[in-house]
Amino acid sequence: MLKVDHVWVRRGAGFALRNISLSLFPGKTLAVVGESGAGKSTLIATILDLVKPWKGEITWAGASVQTCSPGLVMQEPRAAFNPVLSLRQSVLEPIVARNEDMPHERIKRLSDSLELSLEIFDRYPGEISIGQAQRVAILRALIAAPPLVLLDEPLSALDAVIQKHTAKLISDLQQEEGFAAMIVTHDLGYAMAYADEIAVIKSGGIEEVSTPQTFAKESKSGYSRLLMEAAMALGALEPSA
Amino acid sequence: MIKSLTGLVLRAVVVLFGTALATFTLLWNAPGDPAQAIAMARFDALLTEDVINQVREETGLNTNFWSAFMAWVGPLLTLDFGRSSVTGREVWPDLLTAIRYMIPLALGGLVIGLAISLSLAIIATNRPGGLLDRFAVAVASLGTAIPAYWLGLLLILLFAVHLAWLPAMGARTPSHVILPALTLGLGVAASLTRIIRSGILEARGQQFLPAIRRRGVSKKEISRDHIAPHAAIPVVTVFGLELAFLLEGVVMVEVIFGRPGLGTFLVAAIEARDFPQVQAVVVLTALIFVTVNLIIDVIYRVIDPRIGESNA
Amino acid sequence: MRSVFVIAGILFLLAVFGPFLAPHDPTAINIPNRLSPPGSAYLLGTDMLGRDILSRLLYGARWSLGLAFLISLIGLVVGTLIGLLAALGGKLTDWTVMRVTDTFLAFPDLVAAVVIAGLLGSGTWSLIFALSVTGWMRYARVARGIGLSLQSRGYVIQAKLAGLNNRSIARWHYLPWLLPTLTVVWTSMFARAILGISALGFLGFGVQPPMPEWGTMLLDARIHLRSTPLQMIWPGLAVVISVIVINLAGDILRDAVATERDQA
Repeated sequence: MLKVDHVWVRRGAGFALRNISLSLFPGKTLAVVGESGAGKSTLIATILDLVKPWKGEITWAGASVQTCSPGLVMQEPRAAFNPVLSLRQSVLEPIVARNEDMPHERIKRLSDSLELSLEIFDRYPGEISIGQAQRVAILRALIAAPPLVLLDEPLSALDAVIQKHTAKLISDLQQEEGFAAMIVTHDLGYAMAYADEIAVIKSGGIEEVSTPQTFAKESKSGYSRLLMEAAMALGALEPSA
Repeated sequence: MIKSLTGLVLRAVVVLFGTALATFTLLWNAPGDPAQAIAMARFDALLTEDVINQVREETGLNTNFWSAFMAWVGPLLTLDFGRSSVTGREVWPDLLTAIRYMIPLALGGLVIGLAISLSLAIIATNRPGGLLDRFAVAVASLGTAIPAYWLGLLLILLFAVHLAWLPAMGARTPSHVILPALTLGLGVAASLTRIIRSGILEARGQQFLPAIRRRGVSKKEISRDHIAPHAAIPVVTVFGLELAFLLEGVVMVEVIFGRPGLGTFLVAAIEARDFPQVQAVVVLTALIFVTVNLIIDVIYRVIDPRIGESNA
Repeated sequence: MRSVFVIAGILFLLAVFGPFLAPHDPTAINIPNRLSPPGSAYLLGTDMLGRDILSRLLYGARWSLGLAFLISLIGLVVGTLIGLLAALGGKLTDWTVMRVTDTFLAFPDLVAAVVIAGLLGSGTWSLIFALSVTGWMRYARVARGIGLSLQSRGYVIQAKLAGLNNRSIARWHYLPWLLPTLTVVWTSMFARAILGISALGFLGFGVQPPMPEWGTMLLDARIHLRSTPLQMIWPGLAVVISVIVINLAGDILRDAVATERDQA
């Protein structure tokens, strides 16, 4: 279980994150929603130990998060791949780093699930579409079968049509693989559709945590209502949801 | 600001310590006997084996590197350079004489260099990309490729041998400084022209200037608040660079023209393996350099507060 | 533009094959023929010991250009490794490494090279050591600077997350981005090494006689400046032409690298 325990992160004289507590159980999906600058990306960076908390701690099953080698899917799929390496080289990095045997079977299976042809791995990041790149990125995040996968705005660089499809693929893979997923997004519709729990974050602090159902019906904070209304106005959410 | 200043000073101290350590490592490993050198530096009398052995013991040179280093660095902290291991004379007076000879050469070189590079840069930027501009840039890059020692020989050949207008060797009369200063100055000019040229172009190209001029800010205020700080940064940078260039140039130029000064002092000291003299030049130069760079860093932060943040 | 590389190629060939073109033994002393003017027997004349200047120039290319190549390469390797160490080794390592770099920059590098080469005793090895030890800092700063800017790239974060060690990250994710800029730095350091070698040779701390090296040749020629002034023209010209060609090649490379970066 991922446990974020009263975490504070400094930024300049103030705080980027204030007193964040969250938990995420294996196989479940937690969506962290909030507007840009709310501290969502800092939260991911802190969980990955790229940013040190000022106070509080983050653990996976009681140990540091590093021990479970979490997978990460980033917002910009192209930037996540070194342009001078073939996709195969990038994707296999976690395997090579651990000196493990090549998981041919697993690559085949994940490629099938993500609707990728195997020949794509011989290509370079600049030679594939953004949608393909994001699916390859998901494959890389999953290749070493991590129990925890962090997805930082996994859909926002994609076209609307591909967004829906990719969201479905991620969800299906989670069913198969059973990993815990933390999805950071500003897309409330996506969160409502796929998350088991939604955490609303605003200026570095947690506004509320609830299930999508209760969230839609009886949102506690005024800010969550505002988010919902904004999403409805854009047609991302059906008013009846 | 105070915090970043403390950091800068701490950095300067660390760098000075590093320089001292590097110098001592070099002396420690150089062929020759450092104990003898130190003994000679300290005592007037002719040295017997006993005295040298005594020094060896006192300074820890018979023990290990670190205790020897500590014994060595102590006097340097008070800028006590001791005595020459060759002549037995105090190092300081000879060093000061050498510096006194060097100053007119260095200043002359700097003035000539600034005069040439400023006029070249101003002419060049009058019409950027024009014929004169390209000519100036070409001359400048040609200049950086010509080593001072060759240029010096060419100037001697032309002005001293063929035309017989100017004296070449030594430093007897004031006119003796002309050819060396010209050699040095041409080198300075070559390295400066490009920097000044791009500095002028950049300061002129600041796009917000017309906008604030229209807002009613006076020309005087624009010069003071916008152009001058912008132009000042390259000037400060250049000063730091030129100091290094001048010192290197001085060494070569003094040797070519057989002129007494810091460069010839250093080269002669190295040739004679006169460690106290060599280390005096090294330590003094490092001290001057680190201090100047420290001042430059402080000035940067005063002119442009952004620098402190990104560098801290 | 292409002509610059053609000339650079010719220089390279001269450095490698020059000795085969030399009409005489560059160290053969021939006192009766000393200081002879250029003529049919000695195309560029002879020096004070009657040695053929053309042959010495051709052999000298091997010393002046070859050693400069070696020295600039040592600086490239050492400096890049140090810069990468600073960029990847964490805050404390970075601070320490950069203070060491500052220490080496606290002194004009040519003067430092003179002191080091002079104190270690004249000779080729101390020359190489002196110019290498004073010639790695720019590479280190450039490598560190680019390295730090790469830290936040997605693929570097992914590689760290994957558990790749620093050596592999440096090799696969940093080096490809460093090399273009480092090559540009290398050309200017190559030119600096040529100037440094001949400067030390001219001061008598470099390549030792009777080996023909352009700076040492200038030192010899200086004594006979009045009687045979042409003697000092040739080695100086060789240095200047080499440096100009290398600088021009460097400028072209820099523009190419800049254009590529703008397009990327």
